[in-house]
Amino acid sequence: MTTSAYLIRRLAQAVAVILIVTVVVFCLLHALPGGPARGILGAQATAQQIEAFNREQGLDQPLPVQYWRYLTRMFQGDLGTSYVFTSPVSQLIAERLPKTLLLTVLQAVIGILVAIPMGMWQAMRRNRPVDYVLTGASLFAYAAPVFFLGLVLIVVFNQTLVWFPSQAPRGTTVAQILQDPAGLVLPVMTGAVAMVAVFSRYMRSSMLENLTEDYVRTARAGGASRRQTVVRHVFRNSLTPVVAMLGYYVPVLFGGALVVEQLFNYPGMGLLFWNAAQSSDYPLLLGCVLVISVATVIGSLGADLLQAAIDPRVKAGRS
Amino acid sequence: MTATRTAMSTRRWLLPVAAAATTALLAGCTGGSADGGSGGQDRDSVSYALPVNFTPNWILPLGTAQTLNTNNRAISSTLWEPLITYDGSTGTIAWNKDASIATDAEFAADGTSVTITLGDRTWSDGEPITARDVEFWYNLVTANKESWGSYNEGQAPDDWASFETIDDTHFVLTFDKAYNPDWMLANQLSLITPLPQHAWGKTGADAEVTDDDRTPAGAQAIWAYLNSASEALADYDSEELWTVVSGPYALGSFSTAGEVVLEENDAYDGGEVPTIPTVNLLPFASSDAEENALRSGELDYGYISASNVDQSDSFTELGYQVEPWSGWSITYMPYNFENPGIGPVVSQLYARQAVQMSVDQDSLAEVVFNGTAVPGYGPVPQAQDSDFLSDTQADNPYPYSTEDAAALLAAHGWEPNADGIMVCADAGTEADQCGAGVAEGTVFALTVLSQSGSTVTDNMMSEIQSSLRETGIDFSIETAPVSSVLSQTPACESTSPDCDWQLSFFGTAGSWYFNAFPTGDSLFQTGGSANFGSYSNPEVDALISAATTSTDNETILEYSATLAEDLPVIWLPSPNYQVSVINESLVGFQQDSLAQFHPAQWSWTE
Repeated sequence: MTTSAYLIRRLAQAVAVILIVTVVVFCLLHALPGGPARGILGAQATAQQIEAFNREQGLDQPLPVQYWRYLTRMFQGDLGTSYVFTSPVSQLIAERLPKTLLLTVLQAVIGILVAIPMGMWQAMRRNRPVDYVLTGASLFAYAAPVFFLGLVLIVVFNQTLVWFPSQAPRGTTVAQILQDPAGLVLPVMTGAVAMVAVFSRYMRSSMLENLTEDYVRTARAGGASRRQTVVRHVFRNSLTPVVAMLGYYVPVLFGGALVVEQLFNYPGMGLLFWNAAQSSDYPLLLGCVLVISVATVIGSLGADLLQAAIDPRVKAGRS
Repeated sequence: MTATRTAMSTRRWLLPVAAAATTALLAGCTGGSADGGSGGQDRDSVSYALPVNFTPNWILPLGTAQTLNTNNRAISSTLWEPLITYDGSTGTIAWNKDASIATDAEFAADGTSVTITLGDRTWSDGEPITARDVEFWYNLVTANKESWGSYNEGQAPDDWASFETIDDTHFVLTFDKAYNPDWMLANQLSLITPLPQHAWGKTGADAEVTDDDRTPAGAQAIWAYLNSASEALADYDSEELWTVVSGPYALGSFSTAGEVVLEENDAYDGGEVPTIPTVNLLPFASSDAEENALRSGELDYGYISASNVDQSDSFTELGYQVEPWSGWSITYMPYNFENPGIGPVVSQLYARQAVQMSVDQDSLAEVVFNGTAVPGYGPVPQAQDSDFLSDTQADNPYPYSTEDAAALLAAHGWEPNADGIMVCADAGTEADQCGAGVAEGTVFALTVLSQSGSTVTDNMMSEIQSSLRETGIDFSIETAPVSSVLSQTPACESTSPDCDWQLSFFGTAGSWYFNAFPTGDSLFQTGGSANFGSYSNPEVDALISAATTSTDNETILEYSATLAEDLPVIWLPSPNYQVSVINESLVGFQQDSLAQFHPAQWSWTE
C-alpha cells in the first residue's frame, strides 16, 4: 500500500470514528434527566424562561432532528453557541485551543528533551547507583498526581524562592502569553516533570532491549565503537516505541492540561471541557469532544507516520 | 509544608534541570517575579478575585436569565448606576442614595403610584441624565419582558400600568393596584437602570438615534441591537455604546478570558466617588489557583474556602484580614411533596418536625462550617438583624433532639424495625396514626440529590445522615454537579417520570439570595417558579400576597413565623457568601449582604 493510500484509509477511519464519538456523546448527553435549562438558568429561572430557552436552543425537538441540525451546522463550521459563555463554540475553541497547544507542546518538547537523554544515560549505566536514584525519582514523579507536583513547584519556586509567579500569563493570544515567559515556567515544568517520568522509563527499557540485540554485537564486532553503535543504531531503534507512545499520549496531555490549567489559572481547552461538563453546556461539551477526538486521531496517525519514518519495517508491515 | 519540602528535596536534582531547561527556552534565564498584580504595592489600583469559574460575559444591564447573573450585574452596576440601589454597605440593607440616580420616591397615599425625583446628574459624555433615560429602560423592558432575565409573571413590568414624565428630573409610575411601598422600592423599582437613550436609542451601529423605543416594534429592534452588541465580548474595548456610563467607573478593558479592568469615570457626579482609580477584576479557574495568588500577594481582595478558615493566621501574617461576608440568604433542602413514595410521609407535619429536630444546626455551623455559617430556622435570613425576622423563627421552634424526634414518630404509629429504621405500624388518619396516604409498612427512608464538589457539603450531609439515623430515619446521599441537581429536581406532578426525586440540595453557597425585601413568592407560594417541592399552603399564599401589598410589617413577621413552624423544607445553616481575605490596608467599606461588590466604596489607608 502506498503512503497516500494508507493516509486516505486512515483519514476515512478517523472521520468515521469522530462521527461515532459525536453520536455517542450526543445521545448520552440528551439521555441525562432534566435537560440543561434549569442548570444553566439557575434556581431562580421561571417556567416561561425555561420554556423559552428550550425553544431557542431547539431542545424541544426530537433527538434525531437535533442531531441532524447539529451535524449539518458542524459541517458548515458552526458548532453552536455556548449556553454559559453565550459565545460561539468555535470562537471559544479558537481562543482556548492555541493556549492549551502552547502549554502541551512546550511540556512535551521539554519533557522529551530531558527524558530521552535521561533514559539513554540510565540504560548505559544500568544497575549503577545513579540508575537506581533516577529510577526511584522517576517512579516517584510518575506516581505523584499532577496537581501535587504543581503545588510542590508553587511552594518552592513561588512562595519560598519567589522566582516565578504562581499564575500563568493572562493573555488571550499566544503572542500575549509569550510576552510573559516567566509565568509559563511553573505550568510547563509541572507537565514536563510528569512526562520526563513516563518517557525516561520507556526510553530506558527500549534501550536496554536493543542493547542486547544481535545487531549490536555485530556492529561492535565490525569495529564500531560503543558510542557509535548506540548513537547510530540503538538510539534510532529505541525511539520507535517512544514515538508510538507519544502519539497515544495526546489525550493524556489534554487531561493533564486540565489539572495544570486549574492550578495555574490558565483557561485553556482542558478547563473549558471541565466547565462545560459541570454546567451541562451541551454545545460546548460536544465541541470539546470533537476537538479532543480529532487531536487523538491526529496524534495516533502522526505517531504511525513517524514510526514508519524511523523504522522502515513498520511501513513495510502495513501493506 | 514540611511534607512538601521533603518531597522537594527528594527530587531536587530533577526540578532544577527542568526549570533551567524551561527557563532557558522561554525566558533566556531572565527569572521572574511572584508579584503579578497590584498586591497592595500599587495604591492606584486594586485586584479583586471574581468567584471561581465565573467568567464575565455580559455588560448590558438588560439581558436574559442566561446572562443576567449576580456577578455580571455587579460589574454593570459599577458602570451604569441603578435608579435605586439597595445594598448592605452601611451594615444594614437599605436604599443607598449615594449610589442611586434617584434621590427621592414619594408614594401616593393609596399606594397605587410613585413619583420619583432624579438627581442632577450627567452621563460620562456630558449629557444630562433625565426621565427620558428611565422611560427608555421602561419601554425596552415592557416590550421585551418575556426575554428579560428578571421577569416574573405578575411582577415588573406587569405591575406597572403607566409611565408619565413630569419633567426632566421627575416622573410618575402608576401601578396596577396598591402595593407595599417598601416591597415596591426594594424589589421592583431597584430593577430599573437608567440607560443613555441619546446614545443607545438606535437599531444598529450606524443607525440614527430615534424615539422608536416608544413603539413595541422599535423597542424590540433596539433590544435586539443592544443584546447583540453585548454578545460581542471581543469588541467591548472598542464599542462606543459602552463608553457612555453613569457609574463611578468606566470600562478600561475587557478580555474574553474574563479579566476586566475598570477605570475611574472622571465625569462621575454621583455620591460614590472612587478613591482607587483602577480596579482589576480577575477570574480564577480553581480555588487553589486563587489561594496561591493570595499567598503570593497578587491579590488585594480574595477568598478562601470555609474548610480553610483554620489557616486564617497564615493569611494575616501576609498582611491580610480574614473577613466573613454573610449573604442575605437562606439555605434549605426542599422536600418533594409530589413524590409518589415519600410524598405522603413528608406531607405530615409531625414527620417534617421529626426530620427538622434531627438536624443539629448549631454543630453543623460551628464544626462542619468552621463557624462560617449561621443556623437558619425559617424563610428570613438570620445572619443579619432585620425587621422581617419573627421571634418564632429566631427562637428555633424545633430544637435539636433525636430522642424527641423518635418519640414524635412513635406517637404517630411508627416503630423501629430490626435495623432501627422507623416503619409505619399503624396506618390511618387519627392523631396517633401515620397519617393520610401513609401505608402500613412504609419505611421512613429519604434520599437526597446533593450538590457535589464541596467537602463542607459532603461533611454536612454525612452529619445529617448520622443524626437522622439516630432518630430512625434512613438517609441516602447521591451527588451531582449543581446544574444537574437543579435539572433533576424540578417541580413535578406525582405521575410524571421526573418526580422520582425526594430531597434536593443546591445550597453549598447558600440556596437562595433574596432581594432586599425577603418575600418568598418564588419559593413557597403555590406554583412559585422555584417552589421545586410543590409545597402548597393557602395560609402562606395569602401571607405572601399580603406582604407585597400591605404596609403592615406584621404580615412579613407572620409569614416568617408560619413557615418556620410549617417546615416547607428542611432548614439548614446558611453559609457565608464567602470568607474574604482582604489586604489590611484596603478599608472604608462593609461587605454587601446582597452579594454585590462596590469598588467605589473601597479606599487605601495612607
